[in-house]
Amino acid sequence: MRLGDMVIEPMTQRQVMEFPYKHSTGPIVGRFLAALKEQRQIWGQRVSGGAVIVPPQGYSEWDGSAGTEWVPVEDQGVVVAVAKVWQPVERLHPFPEPFAYVLVRLEGADTALLHVVKTDFDHVRIGSRVRAEWLPDGERRGSIWDIREFRLLPAA
Amino acid sequence: MPQLRNVAIVAFAQLPVVARDEHRTATEMLYLAVRQALEQCQARRDDIDYQIAGSTDYMDGRPFGFVTALESLGSWPPRQDLHLEMDGTFCAYYAWLRMQAGDCETALVVAHGKVSEGDPRRVTNLQMDPYYHAPLGIDAIASSALQASMYMARTGVGDHELARVAARNRAHGARNPDNQVRAVATAEELQSTPFVVEPLRQGYLAPVGETATCLILAVEGKAERMCDRPVWIHGVDHRSELQTLGARDLSRSAGARLASERALALAGLDRADQVDLAELAATNPAEEMVLCDALGLDPFASRPVLNPSGGPLCADPVMSTGLIRLGEAFRQLAGRAGERTVSGAEMALVHGQQGHCLQTNIVWICGTRRRWS
Amino acid sequence: MKCSAPPETPVKYVEAVVWLPYHYVAGDYRAVYLRALKDKKILGSRCDVTKKVFVPPVINSPESFAPCSELVQVSDQGRITTFCIVNIPVIGRNLELPYVAASVLLDGADIPIFALIQECRTEDVHMGMRVEAVWKPDGQRQGDHEDILYFRPSQSSSSGEWPRPI
Repeated sequence: MRLGDMVIEPMTQRQVMEFPYKHSTGPIVGRFLAALKEQRQIWGQRVSGGAVIVPPQGYSEWDGSAGTEWVPVEDQGVVVAVAKVWQPVERLHPFPEPFAYVLVRLEGADTALLHVVKTDFDHVRIGSRVRAEWLPDGERRGSIWDIREFRLLPAA
Repeated sequence: MPQLRNVAIVAFAQLPVVARDEHRTATEMLYLAVRQALEQCQARRDDIDYQIAGSTDYMDGRPFGFVTALESLGSWPPRQDLHLEMDGTFCAYYAWLRMQAGDCETALVVAHGKVSEGDPRRVTNLQMDPYYHAPLGIDAIASSALQASMYMARTGVGDHELARVAARNRAHGARNPDNQVRAVATAEELQSTPFVVEPLRQGYLAPVGETATCLILAVEGKAERMCDRPVWIHGVDHRSELQTLGARDLSRSAGARLASERALALAGLDRADQVDLAELAATNPAEEMVLCDALGLDPFASRPVLNPSGGPLCADPVMSTGLIRLGEAFRQLAGRAGERTVSGAEMALVHGQQGHCLQTNIVWICGTRRRWS
Repeated sequence: MKCSAPPETPVKYVEAVVWLPYHYVAGDYRAVYLRALKDKKILGSRCDVTKKVFVPPVINSPESFAPCSELVQVSDQGRITTFCIVNIPVIGRNLELPYVAASVLLDGADIPIFALIQECRTEDVHMGMRVEAVWKPDGQRQGDHEDILYFRPSQSSSSGEWPRPI
């Protein structure tokens, strides 16, 4: 019999794949994360031309030259892009309720950091001033999530 | 400008894009597309020198699954083969390069993927770095929304313009029988759909769907024998940008701009609007407007005709979306575009992309005549 | 608290679990193959051009590139073409060591399948050895690969011509 002459009920199967990874951080990302945990401080790195990139990569993504000195930046800044997630996806997005992704240009930085705004997220817009809301001492573990979210600051 | 080898598209086949094919695996779909493409140009499998495939294992959930495609491609006797974890349009670029290097004369360029079996949003999250971006759960729709917000803030473009761009694609797409979405929708209707990730509404997003695609390239001397109206490559360029979202001006696409400038120069053209039609691999209307900005095209002009196929808003089979744009240029310029034919079209601009927020771009210029004599 | 530099000791690792749900399609060729196992039938597909039979069935011959349109049934007996003796445990397989994993060319097929060989001493296994499938009992077969428990040395002679039309 030819397959094309048969009526075949589709056969399907659901399966979840889980891949556990342990990503090495290296000295630059690793020290940036250590500072979040131990110092509650966001550090950038100066690259050629003088720009301060946050978060640091150890090199300039523009010209590939090595990063130089560490530069502390403020944990507050201005929103330069905002995406309001009205329909979060389970186990992908960090919250079951709507929230916003934001790119924040921190004071002292020349690039923008990606993070979230949860509290009053529907009021955030480009140009909004926001400040990091840190996890308390003892709960920070050296992760980008040591910052719980960015919160709106009153307009200047 | 250098004198390059004339290379032409001589065949393109795709299965109609569907939300889910429950009867075939990715490579079974691919086999059908390859057969159709070979039949179009009356080639036997052994007539083809080189083969290259684009797919992504994460999407299919089959680690090293791309190896299975070798069987659907007919890889005996052993073939010169390459696989890219990139859209098929980039595979076409590598095949074109090999032809320029002189080591092959004909190539099968394929793309495949069972997008419905996996979850594109989770997979696009994995394109991000694992320290700063991926842990936040950001996916390609969310990053596209960040880009849209920056573009709208910079230019003053509003929600209604996005809706108009989406509606134009949907109107064109209704005439393309290979599309997954063929219903016309007005700008007002699309603008009343809910936000998925603001500023992007449901009506502005590409549907999740799947297909398999096969394009055949051949050099001058062979192309004319394989196709009565071969479509010639006049120029192509491929540019990648930074990965870190916050280090880029997402409201512009520097990569698409540079790629188009180089491709146009290679084609001997001054401006993108000198072509008759453009197929853009933009997966939402804001991205299409960022691209138009970079390419120097007016998203609301009647010529060049933008996305006469309907574009990715009507069918976005990941890994094939870019190759379909190239295939569509072939169908338009070779007189195989049916009801959606752009009358008198002789030149087309074709865009492809990969990554978040137009991180990697490729621009092709194609024409009905040979580029170099 | 103002610091002059980030801590000297870096956070060394970031742990991440990639969690991806899939909803696979077996495809019609695999679907008919697996369902037939429930009836103790092993199916293959025959190349339109070379007439070679592939087990499990495939859409096309990777060799000739021609379609394999016709489904046929092959025998549940065959011969060992090659084998190895496994002396180390494999995760997910609780078999007494050592055991034999073999390629078995079923009667009527042109390509071997992988099979577990049991009910004989490992040193007695040899290339060309006739083996037969040992099926799960009636009523317990689910239409999956576990329906064939293993292969063992043939206890009956091969019956008739293979492959057979279905």
